[in-house]
Amino acid sequence: MDPTDTVPATPIRRLLVANRGEIAVRIARTARRLGIGTVGIYSDADRAALHVDVMDVAVALGGSTPAESYLRIDAVVDAAVRTGCDAVHPGYGFLAENADAARAVEAAGLRWVGPTPEQITLLGDKIAAKRTAGAAGVPTTPIHEVTPGGPLPSNLAMPVLVKAAAGGGGRGMRVVTSADDLASAVESASREAAGAFGDPTVFIEAYIENGRHIEVQIMGDAHGSVIHLGERDCSVQRRNQKVIEESPAPGLDGAVRRALHDGAVALARHVGYRGAGTVEFLVADDGTITFLEVNTRLQVEHPVTEAVTGLDLVEMQLAVAEGRPLPVAQDDVRFSGHAVEVRIVAEDPASGWLPSTGTITGFSIDDTVRCDSGVRPGSVISVDYDSLLAKVIAHAPERHGALARLAAALRSADIGGVRTDADALIAIVTEPDFVAGGVDTGYLGRHPAVLDGDRPHADAMAAHLVAVSLARATANRSADRHWGFAPAGWRNVATRGQRVTWSETAGPHTVEHRIEYRRSGDSWQVTLGDWPEPGPDGALGDDTRTTCTVRATSDGETWSVEIDGTRQRVRVVAEHETSAGVTWRATSAAGRTRWREHPRFVDHDAEMAGSGPVAPLPGTVIAVAVSAGDRVEANQVLMVIEAMKMEHRITAPADAVVGTVRFAVGDRVDMGDLLVELDTSTSD
Amino acid sequence: MLRSRLDVRSEEYLANRAAMEGLWATVADELARVETIGGQRYVDRHRQRGKMLARERIEQLVDPDTPFLEISPLAGWGSEFPIGAGMVCGIGIVEGTEVAISATDMTYRGGSSNPRTVDKSARFAEIVEQNRLPWITLNESAGADLPHQADIFVRGGASFRNQTRLSKLGIPTITLGFGPATAGGAYTPGMSDYTVFVKGRGTAYLGGPPLVKMAIDEIVDEETLGGAEMHARVSGLSDYLAVDEMDALRIAREIVAHLRWRKLGPGPSEPADEPLYPVDELIGCASADVRVPFDIREVYARLLDGSRFEEFKPLYGEKLVCGWGSVCGFPVGFIGNNGILFSEESAKGAQFIQLCNRTNTPLVFLHNITGFMVGSKAERGGIIRNGAKLINAVSNSSVPHIVLMVGASYGAGNYGMAGRAYDPRFVFTWPNHKIAVMGGRQLAGVMDIVARNAAAGRGIEVDEDQLNAQKDALEAQIESESSALYATGRLWDDGIIHPNDSRWVLGMALSAVHTAEVRGATEYGVWRH
Repeated sequence: MDPTDTVPATPIRRLLVANRGEIAVRIARTARRLGIGTVGIYSDADRAALHVDVMDVAVALGGSTPAESYLRIDAVVDAAVRTGCDAVHPGYGFLAENADAARAVEAAGLRWVGPTPEQITLLGDKIAAKRTAGAAGVPTTPIHEVTPGGPLPSNLAMPVLVKAAAGGGGRGMRVVTSADDLASAVESASREAAGAFGDPTVFIEAYIENGRHIEVQIMGDAHGSVIHLGERDCSVQRRNQKVIEESPAPGLDGAVRRALHDGAVALARHVGYRGAGTVEFLVADDGTITFLEVNTRLQVEHPVTEAVTGLDLVEMQLAVAEGRPLPVAQDDVRFSGHAVEVRIVAEDPASGWLPSTGTITGFSIDDTVRCDSGVRPGSVISVDYDSLLAKVIAHAPERHGALARLAAALRSADIGGVRTDADALIAIVTEPDFVAGGVDTGYLGRHPAVLDGDRPHADAMAAHLVAVSLARATANRSADRHWGFAPAGWRNVATRGQRVTWSETAGPHTVEHRIEYRRSGDSWQVTLGDWPEPGPDGALGDDTRTTCTVRATSDGETWSVEIDGTRQRVRVVAEHETSAGVTWRATSAAGRTRWREHPRFVDHDAEMAGSGPVAPLPGTVIAVAVSAGDRVEANQVLMVIEAMKMEHRITAPADAVVGTVRFAVGDRVDMGDLLVELDTSTSD
Repeated sequence: MLRSRLDVRSEEYLANRAAMEGLWATVADELARVETIGGQRYVDRHRQRGKMLARERIEQLVDPDTPFLEISPLAGWGSEFPIGAGMVCGIGIVEGTEVAISATDMTYRGGSSNPRTVDKSARFAEIVEQNRLPWITLNESAGADLPHQADIFVRGGASFRNQTRLSKLGIPTITLGFGPATAGGAYTPGMSDYTVFVKGRGTAYLGGPPLVKMAIDEIVDEETLGGAEMHARVSGLSDYLAVDEMDALRIAREIVAHLRWRKLGPGPSEPADEPLYPVDELIGCASADVRVPFDIREVYARLLDGSRFEEFKPLYGEKLVCGWGSVCGFPVGFIGNNGILFSEESAKGAQFIQLCNRTNTPLVFLHNITGFMVGSKAERGGIIRNGAKLINAVSNSSVPHIVLMVGASYGAGNYGMAGRAYDPRFVFTWPNHKIAVMGGRQLAGVMDIVARNAAAGRGIEVDEDQLNAQKDALEAQIESESSALYATGRLWDDGIIHPNDSRWVLGMALSAVHTAEVRGATEYGVWRH
């Protein structure tokens, strides 16, 4: 250490990780490796969360919303002091870019693993940050500060972006394409910013419609050293939220790359930046660079940088917080290969990224990739917190290798209990334009099909169907308390095999599959497709199905299914979701599918009670033919329901007068729902 | 632990297996005809009405992937009546409960009963009662096959008596009306604990519209007279009104679920590990030609859990192989023959049966018997006296008896081994099985000697050609009348099974007998010591 340095290096012995989820788990991992004790914090809702269990000690904060728990500075500082911590790592989100938190931690005599409160304040104000960037010589485009109701700049080249000075995550942001709309955009953005961040200040900058989001990882120490660790390309975004990040940025012009790196370092050096930070830029088609902002924290996507540099960013953050100089100089930083990260979130891309909540029933990902996860089977996903479940990072010498590894790992990943974007992520990392590299932030808008997700090919689908069916048969046999010893579906007078109709759901699609199977010695005779049904004359139609021989073995969850001599491995897990039945989840190298058995019986109880017809299957109302008060005759169509791609006509069981029509076109109905109330007593 | 001495790669084994497979193929062909025995035209017409075949209904009634053991599927074989006798009977699992299921086959003469149907349902009623099985009847029948009423009417009445007796014994009866239940047949729902009628399909009336018109000059349609809605809303005969066939089956499952049926037997208690030798070798274990001896232990080694067998008196009366083991976890005593019964075998069997009764252990009899020994030496040794011990023991034993005919069952040996007349709970046979007072050749030979003696007594010269022709004809007749198909057609057993299925079938039968109490006897007839 430089003897003239004023900051003494003091080792951190115990670290409070002021966060939850995957990042808390990830920080604790490095701390443990370094021999640093870990203290976690948790809300009531997180009492059983993974991040609590990986800490040496964890402190209950109470509450369930972030404001009641992880955002309570006093409680966090108190927890750190009480448990004898000497440093606080804020992770990302929550208190990470909160200068008051940093100040409170330092006031308590603890070290803040992050930049100084002053740096957070300065760089957290977007306008101040832009000014600072300009002063430091960072390449950027000019901005215009405005106040609501105040004068607006004229002669702006459209389109422009109105942004909240304190904004983030797309809130308080408006794209304006016509000067006439500018005033109202400023007004509403300001109002939203005031509500969200408590600061109504907004500014206007040029809107780069299809730029690439490229950011530079910087790291500074308390001794004035600043280095960059290369850039990350985070252009695949939805609603300004990153979906996929990679390093290096594919196909980026060398001069632009150098300008970004140099600019980021210059900015950090200008403010004497301490710790890890990210300088974000937008790079237009023509190479124009716009400085966006500085994130004064560890980013979600930091693992891609770790992968290509071989460095542990959390370790570096802790070293800086201990007052030690950066362990590497710029010239020592080596970049190797290409890394891509995808974010697995509990959201359904096919339905507009609708959040999905529930209990995780399965979560396992190949160890061919890095997986930073904050969940495990049993974890409860609620709307209280971020939807990020895990990040999967693949690293390979070449980009295509990393993408291939990522696709393979995502396909064979077993994830159950909530809907996720995993299938959409597979679709993206195998989509030709993305694979070609260099996509911009408009990528998802131009490729909506990827949101439907990747589906296993036909052969794999057959293997999934067979594996799920045999897993179900095996489960049924184990449940037979009397004759469990006998083979599935054994008959001394064999007429037909066991027949099952499944609906298989992947993304927005539900497809019906039929299977008939019978045990035959140590193998199964399996027939896929629709079995013959009686025609109008009562004769069965021709059976056009072909039968295959299946040999199957299982070691519990994993089934080896050999269909006519070709073997595939499929992992099958039963999710006992509701009393209505079991959802089976199948996973193989070809991807994931979800299966639900068609119920054998329709519950006609409501119907028999005389109150009206019930839905035979879960589905959607596509037509309503009657309204209250109508007189209907027996067998008259009342409603049409689409279920399993088939139209089911709901008819009156007898002459009746229509009471309440309980559903309208477009409504979802569940099996057994009373559809139309009928009064049969007054019909004559 | 049994060690097999069978070389399953030997030409002898392979040839025997091929012969057995040939015998099974004949049986399998017959079984394949049963479902549509009513004829394609009637099957199609039945389906055209939106109805399911009897076995299709059963498929939808039993729990998914569970086995279904049909009883007497080839009853009526070799007679003027259809194989299967126009009804399906069997044991299956409904809502986790072992139940008896019977179903009429509407596609053969309107589901009417013929004399074989009466035999088959009477036998099935015995199974229901002895094994305490809740009974679901899937009914639609035109009633008695009127031209044959003379062989049906009087004794057929027992079926209704049986129903109410079962009810008195606490054995639930459930009848689903899928079609007509006419005249006497109307008492099938009438005598049931629970009835479910399918709307617009199930009917029940003592006299149909034509008879009503004849008798009291009332003109009435079927629905008004005895339709499902009328019985559900007015007469009260139908406890549940089902929307359609599937709904009736659903309701039946709900009824079974609420029975919360408890088995009274102790249930399986032993490890149910597979035998050391594959069950698939069973088909080659017994001789296709019952005159060729084989070791019954080879069969045991492929039926018993882990091939474990604790042999009783192995050095005494060795033609009768007795001992303890378990099948699918159920403890059993096995009694099987390696041919003939001598005095020692008879006494040993009698003792073994008493021991099994002492420990409440069900018995499995494996028939491979040519009869009791004859001849002066045997008679002087007291073969009758000793045979009487065996018959006394087997007659008065009260643990469940299950019979598996794996070869011949000739003569009084059939009795000593708990043959049909000795009321075993179940009798299953293999396709090579032969059953008669004695083998055809032997019987023809006996008759030949009797004829010659009679001729000699009357001083008449025998016509050798005629006698030989008579002898051959008689041998052929006896051979055919002692075949497995002939026997099962006459309901001398509960069905021919594939030998390789024997372990499961025994397991299911043992499980069924454990639904009732399993209790050994303490009292017997006077022992002729």
